[in-house]
Amino acid sequence: MMRTDWRDHDWQLIHTVPQSPTLHMALDDVLTHEVGTGRRTPTLRIWEWAAPAVVIGRFQSLRNEVDAAAAQRHGIEVVRRVSGGGAMFIEPGNTITYSIYAPLSLIKGLSFQESYAFMDAWVIEALGELGIKAWYQPLNDITSAGGKIAGAAQAHRGGAVLHHVTMAYDIDAAKMLEVLRIGREKLSDKGTTSAAKRVDPLRSQTGLPREAVIARMIATFRRLHGLSDDSLRANELADAEALAQSKFASAAWLADVP
Amino acid sequence: MHGEYKMPGGKLVVIDLDLHDDRLANVQLSGDFFLEPDSALHTINAALTGQPADADEAMLTTAVQTAISSEVMMYGVSPEAIAVAVRRALHQGPDA
Repeated sequence: MMRTDWRDHDWQLIHTVPQSPTLHMALDDVLTHEVGTGRRTPTLRIWEWAAPAVVIGRFQSLRNEVDAAAAQRHGIEVVRRVSGGGAMFIEPGNTITYSIYAPLSLIKGLSFQESYAFMDAWVIEALGELGIKAWYQPLNDITSAGGKIAGAAQAHRGGAVLHHVTMAYDIDAAKMLEVLRIGREKLSDKGTTSAAKRVDPLRSQTGLPREAVIARMIATFRRLHGLSDDSLRANELADAEALAQSKFASAAWLADVP
Repeated sequence: MHGEYKMPGGKLVVIDLDLHDDRLANVQLSGDFFLEPDSALHTINAALTGQPADADEAMLTTAVQTAISSEVMMYGVSPEAIAVAVRRALHQGPDA
């Protein structure tokens, strides 16, 4: 397998109507597979959320990470994604989430650490154009002088890499801390005991509407790598809807790491 | 019993386990690390299950290392970090 560059690929953009948390999990699974088999060319997908959610990492303990009673009280759905990494607290309009589906050739020969920074270099540039000096904080964070902006996660499977990122646009830190259990050990090397202080969202840093930040990101990706407007195919959506029900909405998957 | 270890330069590594007849039982590794393929999680849990309660870090590290194939990729977690989390679970007991 030869190393490929961004411009060797015919990048497609999917940015569609708000979708449920379980459907988002399933779309990542299906679209990674479609790019791995070559049925779909490499794709950038911008997520829109239809409902609040806590998204836990593939290897996180459900009961250690989430206060189930608090989540239920606030009407927050808890889902498990296919990639590792940490829990994310999502409210529609408060985050900017995207996925990149690419052949593994794009990151061939890179270390894990290098591949995370490589996949998000366009975002660092877009943030710079918005006046935010941001950088990659290994292993998997995008940060600025004000604090953490985003967390990334990858999964490699079937010849493809899934690289997805959630950026904080705005945040209800009090609600987040009610729902997520953030342990002392986790914060031991962060220099603060306040999880809320660790995140500095894009809204306060840019003063721009969320849609304007997304438009800037898309424009930067298009300029650097090329990008055509695309949509989900009927079979992709049907596969994802079936998988959302059979797998991602199931108690067995959610509690796979109890 | 519950043990946590923030791997320096890595991620949070968590172990929950029971002891049956002085051996590790119901071992569950978790955390915000990355593992490929994801089935390696269950392989590691199985490798630790049945280890003696007085196994030291070196023994636990070896048990994990020998169980996983060379294909397994770890990011933000290591056999050594898992061993530390197991020892912490065993030291700290149920109330930790």
